[in-house]
Amino acid sequence: MASIVAYIELREGAVTRPSRFVVAEARRIADAAGATVFALLMVGPLAQVEMDKLASEISAAGADRILCSSADTLDGPALDVTHGSLLAQVAEHLRPLLFLFPAGGTAVHLGPPLAVRIGAAFMANASLDVHAEDRTPEPPSQRVLISRWRAARDGQRRIDVGDLERPVVASLASGPFPPPAGEPYAEVEMVPCPDVKFPDARVVDSVVDLAADLELCQAMVWSGKPTAAASAALRAELPSGTWLVTADEAVSPALRVAAPRNLVVLPSPAFAPTAILPPMAPGAAVTRVGSGATTVAGPSELVGETGSDDANLAEFAAALRRARDSKAAP
Amino acid sequence: MIVLVCVEPQSPSQASRAALRLACNLGEKADVVVVSAGGAADSASFQLARQTGTVRRIVHLDDPTFDKADYFTLGMILAEAARHLGAHVVFTGEHSDGEGQGMVPAALAHHLRAPLFARVADVHLPDTGDEVLRLTVRSSGRLCKVVSPLPAVLAIPPAWVADRPQTGAGKSSPAVETLTLAQLAIDASRLVPRPDLLGTLVPKATQIVQYKSFDEAAHILLRGK
Repeated sequence: MASIVAYIELREGAVTRPSRFVVAEARRIADAAGATVFALLMVGPLAQVEMDKLASEISAAGADRILCSSADTLDGPALDVTHGSLLAQVAEHLRPLLFLFPAGGTAVHLGPPLAVRIGAAFMANASLDVHAEDRTPEPPSQRVLISRWRAARDGQRRIDVGDLERPVVASLASGPFPPPAGEPYAEVEMVPCPDVKFPDARVVDSVVDLAADLELCQAMVWSGKPTAAASAALRAELPSGTWLVTADEAVSPALRVAAPRNLVVLPSPAFAPTAILPPMAPGAAVTRVGSGATTVAGPSELVGETGSDDANLAEFAAALRRARDSKAAP
Repeated sequence: MIVLVCVEPQSPSQASRAALRLACNLGEKADVVVVSAGGAADSASFQLARQTGTVRRIVHLDDPTFDKADYFTLGMILAEAARHLGAHVVFTGEHSDGEGQGMVPAALAHHLRAPLFARVADVHLPDTGDEVLRLTVRSSGRLCKVVSPLPAVLAIPPAWVADRPQTGAGKSSPAVETLTLAQLAIDASRLVPRPDLLGTLVPKATQIVQYKSFDEAAHILLRGK
């Protein structure tokens, strides 16, 4: 049976939200097209109880089987020099249709070198879709399509995974994932870690990157230069996985690897962020918000926005409260 | 120490500009060589390199096959050029502004048999006699101090800053040198493009930007939860 590999990223010992989304997407595609979902966990030396806890969480997210490799060389941030050999070994062994990475920057390190090693196509910030197709005289089949924007945003690249005579390595956006639906505990297979190719290349020290949580966000709200109080008030209203990014934070390197499904741009008298959009997958949307309570039909209606950044944040916070109330109403 | 900076043939991407800036800020220890495969010898990429005072050499890899070369082939050619030029460190942009997949640096490192580092934030060249490169990279939510043997390939992310060409007062701009595939001992007739690697190009069908009121945007955000 065909296989799909979902790479699981851990940060400070916990499975990231985009990793949960990758497993859920792999499950969705596998159920539609018929495939086995392998979750790949690469960790440093880990107590059995911790490994069991991670495995249980990943299997409940939708993995059929969990491949786990535990070694000193994997006890650190994901880099090609430390993780690349093992990824290639797993890919050569399983020969998966899809090798999926979560949003958040891991794929920038690991995706392209893996694709080169195994002769795969690579799709960054991609979306997966399944549709039935009649290819008479062949029986009707479920086709798995993977697509991405070109960086220039002038068109999309699309691959029919079944037609390509090579695997596809891809990273996905950070999206919502359903509640746990898989078996409570899937089979865990330990995988030996091969020798690294460049033993002299190594991480000698690392510290938490305070801006990096932004890399994992599922949605972003962009504002101008609000006060700290106004920012805090809106942040309290935002759904989980949503980040408020102000103009001062708009140059953060984390924005370059975030892949939100939703980007809401609040009006601002001093900030026009359209030139520095983060990477977005097909299906993701940028929503520019206009002043007033009516639908804004086009960019011309955004001209002359005069509300202050604080007032716009307050108005959006109020709109979020109204939206929640309307959902809660019987 | 020879620091090779690879730039796109027509005009440099944001990431390549960042790579060039970083390489040119390494100081006197760096002999910065700019290389580009394909395009014209008077392209915007070479003009930028010529405006940058600390660039010592500019090399144009010239062959008509480059127009149809896939990233795997391009990486191989750049790796051979890096060997030919004796590069100790190779800087590239993390991805182009066109396809933007970041495959060329990976293919380059693969063919050069050199370690690859992406999301590079800072680089320190080794002192004399020390063959270890020290750099800072972002990965897995951490800022990591990394050491690497040479040669190494560094993929530099784009930066949201305007170019500040280092005019290099008193220094003359280097002339553009041409290097052919034959000089790199590459047989052009054996380069086979693999167009399936990129997939089919579908023209832009939908607008990525929509215009909504506050209330509509709030509902969109909550629905996406």
